[in-house]
Amino acid sequence: MSAIALKNVAFRYPASPERALDGVDLAVERGEIVLVTGPLGAGCSTLLLLLAGFAPRITSGTRTGTVRVLDTDPGTYDGWRAVVGRIGVLLPTPSTQISGMAFTVRDEVAFGPANLGWEPARIRKEAAAAMERLGVAHLAARDPTTLSGGELQRVILAGLVAMHPSVYLLDEPALELDPEGAALVYELLPTLSEEASVVLATTDVDRAARIAHRAMLLDAGRVVACGTPDAVLGTVRAVALDAAGTVPAVAHAAGCDAPYPLRVPELLARLRP
Amino acid sequence: MVGYVATEGPLHRAHPLTVLTFGATIAILAFVLRGPWGPVAVFAVALGAAFTERVPGVLKPAAVLALPFWIFLLVIHGLLRSDVATAVTLGARISAILVGFLVVLSAVPPSRLVEALVAKRVPFSAAFLLAATLQAVPRLRERAAAVLEAQRCRGLALRGSVIHRVRAIVPLTVPLVLGALGEVDERALALEARGAGAGRRTPLDPPRDGTMDHLVRWCCAALIVVAIVVRVA
Repeated sequence: MSAIALKNVAFRYPASPERALDGVDLAVERGEIVLVTGPLGAGCSTLLLLLAGFAPRITSGTRTGTVRVLDTDPGTYDGWRAVVGRIGVLLPTPSTQISGMAFTVRDEVAFGPANLGWEPARIRKEAAAAMERLGVAHLAARDPTTLSGGELQRVILAGLVAMHPSVYLLDEPALELDPEGAALVYELLPTLSEEASVVLATTDVDRAARIAHRAMLLDAGRVVACGTPDAVLGTVRAVALDAAGTVPAVAHAAGCDAPYPLRVPELLARLRP
Repeated sequence: MVGYVATEGPLHRAHPLTVLTFGATIAILAFVLRGPWGPVAVFAVALGAAFTERVPGVLKPAAVLALPFWIFLLVIHGLLRSDVATAVTLGARISAILVGFLVVLSAVPPSRLVEALVAKRVPFSAAFLLAATLQAVPRLRERAAAVLEAQRCRGLALRGSVIHRVRAIVPLTVPLVLGALGEVDERALALEARGAGAGRRTPLDPPRDGTMDHLVRWCCAALIVVAIVVRVA
């Protein structure tokens, strides 16, 4: 049984005549990192909202097709109750994700585990371990509202890691991070995927393609391609949609033939006479 | 100054429920006691609390908020009806409630309030709602300051005639309201993603609810009952 299974899923927001997602099929196994990318309005964030059970339960709208995450439909109230704490969702804006209920980073990271009703000793242990993994242990005593966007995003991610979810849904996890912080997050994802499934929606394909096992390219809510990152991103279509990343775009501009390489050494080898 | 301020006053050391009880007592007594001296006395107690808590900064926003009411009341009751006592009674009630509320805001960190309520077996969603309400004013002020700064950078002038200033309100309020609504949406998703309201939350560091706190709360309740009995009798 796949950790995530979507079959012919379509979704429409209440105020929009267009479908935000249309005919999407996806299966994600435990231990997999799947990159979801596409141009603006492709439906990547909406896909994550569906998988998290927020759409249409909270956002409202109309959904058709089958959505199964951890063997339940998170879009229903009972389904959400069954998987609460087992799906970790990271949104792009860190400032709106802080609980507002914590005076220290330590308590902010412990917010999720405390909501799950764990024993205090376990909460403290898991929070400390997660802060260590995300490189924010030195900020433990700081007020979360005084952190930079990048530090805060890592604190929020540490809060998710402390809950040990079985599925991570990460929407632009490194959007507000400095290069060092972004590298740290992307280095961590393979480790997280050892015990969970990761769906990563981002336009930062240069970094994400290096760690993703598979990629899915969306355009206007429809799946353009799904497969290995090389097969999906090294195409003329991905370059045309400006969703392929830097190296394929350079290869395309340099007149190389598709499929384009995703890594610089391969590109250099192709360009050498 | 609106919102929590870290000082060492007795209310700051008290259990959050004691502080809330104090605020409720101020509000109820301000209405129950006969005017003008009853509400004036309650107002004096609220003012005293602001000083003993070392948060005199709350008096400025309280004055700004109460001043229009005082002017209105003095004109209507004092000048037009020659009834200064009623104006003072109503004005003191409003001022006492405002100062009392701001002192409570300055004395209770929302996180501590939530921990206290959760430890008393109040559902997290209800505790969060109460704490978020207390945080709403400071958050909106912060957001308003950011919007004001951003609009000034884009050339919005707030000086000039009254009409010019009224026109300037629109580019300030629209992003303020829309931004706040958007933030509420995203915060709701983020909180739910972290299991908020899913079940019984573990209080991490619940504040100590000592004998003195119990005593003060019972005294406040007794004071309210006595005031109501005296008023009705």
